[in-house]
Amino acid sequence: MSDKNTTFNSVGGSGAERDRQPSKADLYRERLDIFVLTPLRVMWSDWRTRTGGLIILAYVFVGVVGVHLIEPAQTGGPRLIGPLQNMQYPLGTNNLGEGLLAKVVHATPPMLKMVVSGAVFSTALATVVGTVSGYKGGYTDTVLTTISDIAMTIPGLPLVILFLVVFEPSNPFFIGVILSINAWAGLARTIRSQVLELRDQSYIEASRIMDVSLHRIIVDDILPNIMPYVLISFVNTGRGVIFGSVALFYIGVLNVPFSNWGIMLNRAYSTGGALYSWSSLYWIITPMAAIVVLSLGLVLFSQGTERLFNPRIRARHAESIEETGPTTGD
Amino acid sequence: MQTTNDVTFGVTDPIFEIRNASVTFDMERGTSRVMDSVDMNIQRGEILGVVGESGSGKSMFASALLDAIPDPGQLSGEITFRPESGEEIELLQQSESEIKQIRWEEIAMVFQGAMSSFNPTMTIGDHFEETLDVHGYDVDDGMERGRDLLSELYLEPEQVLHSYPHELSGGMQQRALLAMSLLLDPEVLVMDEPTAALDLLMQRSIIELIRKIGQQRDLTIVFITHDLPLVANLADRLGVLYAFEFVEVGPANDVLTGSKHPYTRALLNSTPNLHTPREEMRPIEGKSPDPVSVPDGCTYHPRCPMSDDNCVAADPPFQAGSGATDHQAKCHYIDDVNEAVPLNLREVHNE
Amino acid sequence: MRYFVKRVGQSLLTIVSVVVFTFVMIRQMPGGPLAYIRAQVMQSRGADSIDMAELSKLSVDYMNYSVNDPIHVQLFNYTAQILQGDLGRSFNYGEPVGEIILKSAPWTIFLLTISIILTFAIGILLGAVMAYQEGERFDTAWTGVSMFLNSVPYFVAALLFVYVFAIQLSWFPASGNVASNLDSALTPQYVSSVLYHATLPIASLVLTGFGGIALGMRGNAIKEIGEEYIRVAHLRGVPGRRIAIRYVGRNAVLPLYTQFMISVGFMFGGSVILEQIFAYPGLGYYLLEGINARDYPLMMGIFIVITVAVVACILFADLTYGMIDPRVSDEASREAY
Repeated sequence: MSDKNTTFNSVGGSGAERDRQPSKADLYRERLDIFVLTPLRVMWSDWRTRTGGLIILAYVFVGVVGVHLIEPAQTGGPRLIGPLQNMQYPLGTNNLGEGLLAKVVHATPPMLKMVVSGAVFSTALATVVGTVSGYKGGYTDTVLTTISDIAMTIPGLPLVILFLVVFEPSNPFFIGVILSINAWAGLARTIRSQVLELRDQSYIEASRIMDVSLHRIIVDDILPNIMPYVLISFVNTGRGVIFGSVALFYIGVLNVPFSNWGIMLNRAYSTGGALYSWSSLYWIITPMAAIVVLSLGLVLFSQGTERLFNPRIRARHAESIEETGPTTGD
Repeated sequence: MQTTNDVTFGVTDPIFEIRNASVTFDMERGTSRVMDSVDMNIQRGEILGVVGESGSGKSMFASALLDAIPDPGQLSGEITFRPESGEEIELLQQSESEIKQIRWEEIAMVFQGAMSSFNPTMTIGDHFEETLDVHGYDVDDGMERGRDLLSELYLEPEQVLHSYPHELSGGMQQRALLAMSLLLDPEVLVMDEPTAALDLLMQRSIIELIRKIGQQRDLTIVFITHDLPLVANLADRLGVLYAFEFVEVGPANDVLTGSKHPYTRALLNSTPNLHTPREEMRPIEGKSPDPVSVPDGCTYHPRCPMSDDNCVAADPPFQAGSGATDHQAKCHYIDDVNEAVPLNLREVHNE
Repeated sequence: MRYFVKRVGQSLLTIVSVVVFTFVMIRQMPGGPLAYIRAQVMQSRGADSIDMAELSKLSVDYMNYSVNDPIHVQLFNYTAQILQGDLGRSFNYGEPVGEIILKSAPWTIFLLTISIILTFAIGILLGAVMAYQEGERFDTAWTGVSMFLNSVPYFVAALLFVYVFAIQLSWFPASGNVASNLDSALTPQYVSSVLYHATLPIASLVLTGFGGIALGMRGNAIKEIGEEYIRVAHLRGVPGRRIAIRYVGRNAVLPLYTQFMISVGFMFGGSVILEQIFAYPGLGYYLLEGINARDYPLMMGIFIVITVAVVACILFADLTYGMIDPRVSDEASREAY
C-alpha cells in the first residue's frame, strides 16, 4: 500500500486530469475506509468471520507469546500421564515423558511460518500471473494460461512429495512454499477472468486512453476488485499447507528438526502397543484438536469473507462514502 | 378512507374490475403497504398504460392481476375477472389449482428482462413444450401455433426453438417470450417493463409488434412502464401511479395534453423531449415516499407546489372536475392545476 | 471442435511436461543417477565394484535411458519409452513398474470411485434440502455440521477411525484390502471382504468431503431459487416438483463440476496418505514405499500414472460438460478466441 503515493505522482501526461485531485489526507482516509475499516466492520458483523478471526488470532498469540510462557518439551518426565492429573503437564505426557501441551505450543510457530510463507507465495504469484495474463492478453496470456492449467491438473500432494524428497528442505518458510507449489493456479485463473471482465469496463478503458501506466491501472483499479478472491484464497491455501504438512510429517516424508502435530500423531501411532486402551485417547486427540480447530477457524473465516462479495451488505457498513442519491428499487 | 364516487372511469365493458386492492408486507420496522386501496377498471380489448416511477408499486399492480404477489406479500380486496365467455371470476377467491389454470391460459405475463425469464439450461422449444404440456394442451398443435407466433414476430421459428436463451440477442429473447406468453391464447397480457433492457430502436419495434398483435387477437394489454413517452404511442388509456395508488386515469391523449394531477404534469415536464428546451426541463424535487410511512392526506403533498393545509388533512377522492368523467385525478384543486403547473410539452406524437 | 483440439493438446502437453519434470527430478537426486544405480546394485549384490558397460545396461533396464548417452539423448529415450508405456523396473521389488501399477491401480480406483460418488451424492442431496429449508433449524444445524466436517482433514478422520473402530472396538480391520485367505474371484465372501476392508478408508474421505459439497450446493440452489425464471415457471404452471429437479436442482448441480475436478485430483493425491494409514495396497501405498526406499523408477512411474489418470478424468469431464450445461459451451468458445 505504501507505494501508492509514488505511483500517484509518477503519472505522466495529461496534467489537467489531476486538477480535481483531492487532498492527500482525504485520499488516505478514504482508502483506509475502503480497504481496511469497511472490510473489518463487515467481518466483525458476521459470526463466522468473527469466530474464525478470533481463532486465528489465538493461534498467532500462542505462536508468538505462548512459546515464551511455556518451556519446550523435554524427555525424561513421568511417562504417559493422562490430562489434568499433573499440573506440570496439563494435557498429559507421551511415552517419552514429554508434556503434550508444550509440544503442541512449540509446534505452532513453525506451522504459522509455513502457512504464511505458503499463502504469501501462492497468492502473490497468482495475483501477478492472473493480472498480467488477463490484462496483457495475446501471446503472454496463452502461455501463462497454459502453464496455470498444467499446474492446476498435476495432483498436488505427490508433486509436493517429489520436491521434498529431492530437495530435503528444513527451513519452514521454504517448506511452506513447496507445500503450496501448485496452489496458485486456481486463484490465477479466477483473477484472470475477473481482470478480463474488468478490463473492458469503461473506467479502465478511460485510463488506457489517458495513457496511464499499466502498473497504476493494476494497483488502483484492478486490485481492489479482486481483493475478496485473494483473501479467501489466501486463507484456503493456508489451510492446504496445514493439511499437507501434518500429513507429510505423519507419514515421515518431512524430516526436520522442529516439532509438528503430525509428528506427535506419528509417535502415538508408531509406538508399538501404545494405543491399545481407551486411556491413550488424549494422546491422539490433543494434536488432532490443534489441527481441526485451526482449520475450522480458517474455514469459518473464508466462508464469512465470501459475504464481502455481496456489495449490498458492504454498502450498509460503509459510512464515509458519500450518499449516491435516492435509488429506490422496485 | 375512499369516498364513494364513480371509479368506473367510463369503462363500459370491463374485463377487470379492481376494488380496494392492497398489498402489504410485514417488515421489522412496520407494515409495508406497496399497493394501497387501488380501484381500477380495465376495458376489454384496450391497451392500458400504467406509468410510475420505480418504487411506485407498479410491479405489484402487475403481479396482483395474476394473484401472484411474491411471498410473503399479502393481497387483499377484490379483483373480478370477466372472461369473454363463461362466468365472472373472483381472482382472490380461487383455489391454488384454479388460479394455476387461469394464469397463462387466460391471463399471461411478460416480465422485465426476458433473459432472466427463461431457464438457461433449457431451449426455447423446451419451454414452449413444457408450457403446453403442464396445461394439458395438445403439444403438436400448440407448437404449430408457437411457430406461427414466432414468424409473426419476425423470428425464424426452427432456429429459435432449438436455441438456448443465451444464444439469442436481447430483442430476440423478448420476442420469444412474447410468443410464449401468447402460446395458450390468453385474453389478457400483462407486461411489466417489457422493453426496459432493450435499446431504443428495439423498444420501438417491439412496441409496434405489441400493438399489431393486440389488434389481431382482441387482446387486452396492460403495459406497465416508467417511460411515459414510450407508452404514449401505444396506450388507449393511461393510469398514473404515485405512492402505491393511481392518482390520475384517463384517455392517453387527454392525460398527456391536459393532465389534471400535478404529479403527472411534473412527470411530463421531467421527461426529455426533443422539442423541450433544456432549461425548461426539471426533475421532480424530493423523494418518492417510503411504503412503510406514506404521508397523510394527499400522498403527493410534500412534493407538490400547490399543496396547502387541506392537502395535508384530507386524501382527495378521484374526481373529474369540470372535464369529462372518463378522465379523473386525485387532487383537491383539479381545475387549478392547469395554471399552477404549466406543461412545457409542445407537441405529442400520437399517430 | 477447436476447443476439443485445444483441450486434448493441452492434456498431452501436461503429460509430457510431467515426464520431463520427473527426468529433471531424477537428475537432481543427491549424488545423481549414476551413483544412485551403482549404490543400489552394489547393495543388492553385495559386490564391491561394477563396470561402466554393465551400469549402462542396468540403467536402460531400470530407468529407460543409458547413463552413457548425452543428456538430450537421455531425455529423448526416457520420454519416448515412458510414453510407450514402459515405466522401467523397480529396484526394490525387482519387477517392472508397469506390473506393480496394474496390480495396485484397480484398488485405488475402486476406493476413489465409491468415495467420490458417495461424497457428491450425499453433498448434493443435503445441500438441496438445506437450500429449500433456508434459515430453518435443519439448515442452520447442517450448515454448522458441514462446516465442521469440512474442517477435519481426511487423514485425521482416518486416524481417528483406526483408533476407535479398528484398534479399540475391532469392528473393522485396521489394514489391508481383503482377507488374506481368500482367492480373488467374484464370490460373495470375496466381495464382502473387499467392501469390509474399504469401509473405513471410504468413510474417512466421504465424511470429511460431503460438507464442502453440501455448502456449495446450498449456495448455488439458493441463488437459483431467487432467479426470475423460477417465478416465471411457477406462473406458467410448472409443478413445484419439476421446478425443484429440472430448474433448481440441475442448474445448481452443474457448477459443482469445478469442485468435482478438484476432488478427483485431491483424492488421487490424498491416496498416498490414506493408503499408508490403512496399509491399503493401492497406487499411493506403493508410491510411498518407493519414496521410503528411494526407488526412483517406482515413484516416478506411479507419479506419472496418477497424473495421467487425473488429466484424463479432467479432460473427460471438461469435454462432456459442454454437452450437459449449455451455458458453458458459450464460455468455451469465448475462451478459445
